[in-house]
Amino acid sequence: MKSGWRSRLTSTLFLVPYLMSFGVFLLFPIGYGIYISLHDFELLSTEHPFVGLDNYVRIFTSGTYENSLFFNGLWATLQFVVYSVPLLIAVGLALALLVNHLPRKIRGLFRTVYFMPYAMSASVMAVIWLMMFDTNAGFINSALAKLGIQFIPWLTALPWAWVSLVVTTIWWTIGFNMIIFINALNEVPDDYYEAASLDGASSWAKFWYITLPSIRPVMLFVMITSTIASFNIYAQPFLLTRGGPGDATKVLLINVLDHAFIRKEIGSASAMAMLMALLIMIVSVMQYRLTYGRRGIGA
Amino acid sequence: MKHARKIALVLLACVIATVFVLPLVWMLSTSFKNDIEALSGRMTFIPEKPTIKNYAEGLRGNLMNVPIMRWIVNSLSVGVIATGIVLWFSSMAAYALARLPDLPLRRMWFSMFVASLMIPGVLTFLPMYMEFNALRLINTYAALILPYSAGAFGVFLLYQFFISFPREIEEAARIDGANKWQVYVRVLLPSSVQIMVTLGILTFMGVYNDFVWPLYATTSPEMRTITAGIATMAQGSYVQKYGTLMAMTTVATLPVLIIFLVGQRSFVKAITQAGLK
Repeated sequence: MKSGWRSRLTSTLFLVPYLMSFGVFLLFPIGYGIYISLHDFELLSTEHPFVGLDNYVRIFTSGTYENSLFFNGLWATLQFVVYSVPLLIAVGLALALLVNHLPRKIRGLFRTVYFMPYAMSASVMAVIWLMMFDTNAGFINSALAKLGIQFIPWLTALPWAWVSLVVTTIWWTIGFNMIIFINALNEVPDDYYEAASLDGASSWAKFWYITLPSIRPVMLFVMITSTIASFNIYAQPFLLTRGGPGDATKVLLINVLDHAFIRKEIGSASAMAMLMALLIMIVSVMQYRLTYGRRGIGA
Repeated sequence: MKHARKIALVLLACVIATVFVLPLVWMLSTSFKNDIEALSGRMTFIPEKPTIKNYAEGLRGNLMNVPIMRWIVNSLSVGVIATGIVLWFSSMAAYALARLPDLPLRRMWFSMFVASLMIPGVLTFLPMYMEFNALRLINTYAALILPYSAGAFGVFLLYQFFISFPREIEEAARIDGANKWQVYVRVLLPSSVQIMVTLGILTFMGVYNDFVWPLYATTSPEMRTITAGIATMAQGSYVQKYGTLMAMTTVATLPVLIIFLVGQRSFVKAITQAGLK
């Protein structure tokens, strides 16, 4: 198609506002972040000498402060990912199946109720659960006391701190996964199930041989989004456990931001942020490859 | 037999629903208790001495460092302005990408925007802070609003809608002498109200509920958004003042809960659309 420069210019004008935002608040920060991570960038100092890969090398040199900060944080984050992601998937799918098997009239109601906490902000969610989990005055311990169960230090001892963080996260975000699963379940063709019924398949067999394979792509999507979200966990340990007991729930993002804003070491914190971002991207590519590869063999 | 199974499922659904709603009911109930009763550990859903003191003090601005009305105004205005910018910028960009084939480097822009959806926020967080710091814009509305305008999700969502828009209507307008801008304003926008509402609700709720950025991008109590403000309350001098805290969280939750319940359908639709990309 031929068109004059004027037409090309007016077409471009439509893209310019967004392109400027994109450049200033996305592309530039990426480049600037790499630049900062290669400098000794102390927030309050005016001179920021170039140090090459020093910030990265320090992170990988055992015995340094940066090394323990990064890997202890990573260990805490990985624990949370391992505890939360399987549950976020399983409970999300279970709720979706439950809602879909309810009488049609009340489906919408229950879907809304399970989804509602998702509309809360992180701090509201955390403050509510701070009160629920309070050791002396919390709702949960009061309820347990009625059953004759001793107080449980939900936020200040292991493994309870992890239990609390996972429970809160499930309550807060499970609605999102449920909605995605409900949609996927509705798209499985009915005749698949009818054919299976004619062959005398049990409900369990139908779930295992029809439902699960049909929703595999959605399963992958939920796996990736849940893993990324859990990798980025911040508000829950920041407000609920404050990284405790000790440093047990000081996740990577808490350590990166503390390093940047409390110790003012922006350069070295940026290097950590780069590595964390890289890890997140690698994990999602890996999950994609794994599931994609398995489909090739299994089907 | 089948009937019994149905009843069992409904019962199960009710039990789970109770667990989901309980924290919210408890929040509401605690917000009407004085701080001492709230700390008593008694499981009273109806407060023994109901009081509206928590709300009255908070809304009148009598709580130290808690200008709650200002926080709500901040959050609402930041949310509305950011949403407006996102809708405007994204719809123009999506229009150019989907409907203007002579746009130079069209494929390159598109793949760049899509690729940016995979970039984790942690990558841009610190440099973005340094950028605003260098421009002396930390603790301003600009810092609270502008970063959201760079998100590519809206461009992507609207692109998918615009690309399937029937060409005939657009061509009819062009034959009538309408230029690109007029086609965008008079043809495209009026027919995409629904998807724009969807994107608007998603964006508003995302901005209103965002936590980490406003926490670090603001430094003085009166510039906080409600989300950041509640977090500073819970960490500061209001620890375990559950009556006051719960009244303020209830106030903080109301606007977004109303929007959620009203716009729930669009919200659900947008999430599934985003999931199907």
